[in-house]
Amino acid sequence: MAAADFYFGINATFRHIYEEYGEAELINYWRAMGEEYFAPVTERFKGGGLPSVAQYWREFFAEEPGSEVEITEETDCVRVEVKVCPALKHLREHERDIMPLYCQHCTEISRAICEPASIMVRVAGGNGNCCQWFCREGE
Amino acid sequence: MIGCAEFCGYYDWTFEYLRRRFGEEAVSDYWRTAISEDSQRHARELIVGQGIAGMEEYWAQTLEEEEAGYHMQKGEDFFRIDMFACPSLGLLLDRGRQAYHDYCDHCMGWIEPVMEEAGFVIHHEHNHAGQCYWEMRPANDDQGLSAPGEIAGEQDVRALPHWPQVCHHLWLASRRVQKQ
Repeated sequence: MAAADFYFGINATFRHIYEEYGEAELINYWRAMGEEYFAPVTERFKGGGLPSVAQYWREFFAEEPGSEVEITEETDCVRVEVKVCPALKHLREHERDIMPLYCQHCTEISRAICEPASIMVRVAGGNGNCCQWFCREGE
Repeated sequence: MIGCAEFCGYYDWTFEYLRRRFGEEAVSDYWRTAISEDSQRHARELIVGQGIAGMEEYWAQTLEEEEAGYHMQKGEDFFRIDMFACPSLGLLLDRGRQAYHDYCDHCMGWIEPVMEEAGFVIHHEHNHAGQCYWEMRPANDDQGLSAPGEIAGEQDVRALPHWPQVCHHLWLASRRVQKQ
C-alpha cells in the first residue's frame, strides 16, 4: 500500500511536532521511532551486518514510488545515493510546503536504528538528493 | 528515511508516542491540525468546495490507491462507503503489531472536522476488525442513518457475518454514542 499522498502525512506530522513542541521534541520523536518502531530492523542489522543494510534499502526504495536510488556495497560501507528523493519529489509536485527540518529525519532515525548495531551513519546533501553511508564502526 | 509504503505503521506508532508523552488530548489535536488541516487539505478543498461530488472524487482515488475493499454510493442527499477490508488497519492486523489503543479513531479524528466545515454530519460505525461504514448527510437536512441494506443492499457491511465484533464504536450525526 504505497500511496504517495502519505508523504503529505509525514511532512505534516513533522511540522506539527516542531510547531507545537519544538525542535528538541521533534528530534526526540525521530530517535524514539528509530529505537522502538524500527527495533526489528536494528536486530536485522545486528545479525546480518552490512549486506543486510544494503538489502534493507533495496527493498525499502523498491516500494517508494518515484525514487531513483543507487546502492553500492563497498568494503566497509554501504553507500546509498538518493538521486531523486521520492518524498520531496511528491511534495514539490503537489506544491506542499516542505517543513524545514524534513531531511534531518533520515539522519536521526537511521542513527537510532544503526548505532546499537555498531554501524555509523553519515549523510551528505539533501533537499531532494543526498548520499548516505552506513559503515562499520571505526571505518 | 521513512516512506509511504509503511506509513500506517509509523502513523499508529506516532499516536501512541504522542499519547504517552503529551496525553490523549495531544492525539486528537494532532488528527485535527496536522492531518485534517494540513496533510489532508486536498480532501478538505474538494469536499468543502464540491460537497458530495468532492467526497466521491477524493475517496474514489484514495481508496483505489490504498487497495481497499469497499463499496461506494452517493445520492442527492447522502454519500456512503461500506468498507469490507480497511487496508490501513489491515496492515497492522496482518503484522500483529499495534501500538495505539484505538487506531480506527483517527479517521473520525480528521474527517469529522472536514465534514463540519463542509456542512455535513457523519453516521459512522467501525468494528475494529477492518470493517466500517460511513454515511455523510447534509447537516441541515439529516434524514438519519439508513437501515441495514436500505442504501447499499447486499453491499451493506452490516450484512457481513463477521460484522458483529466485541467492540464497536458508533457515531450518529457526528456525535459518539453508546451502541445499544
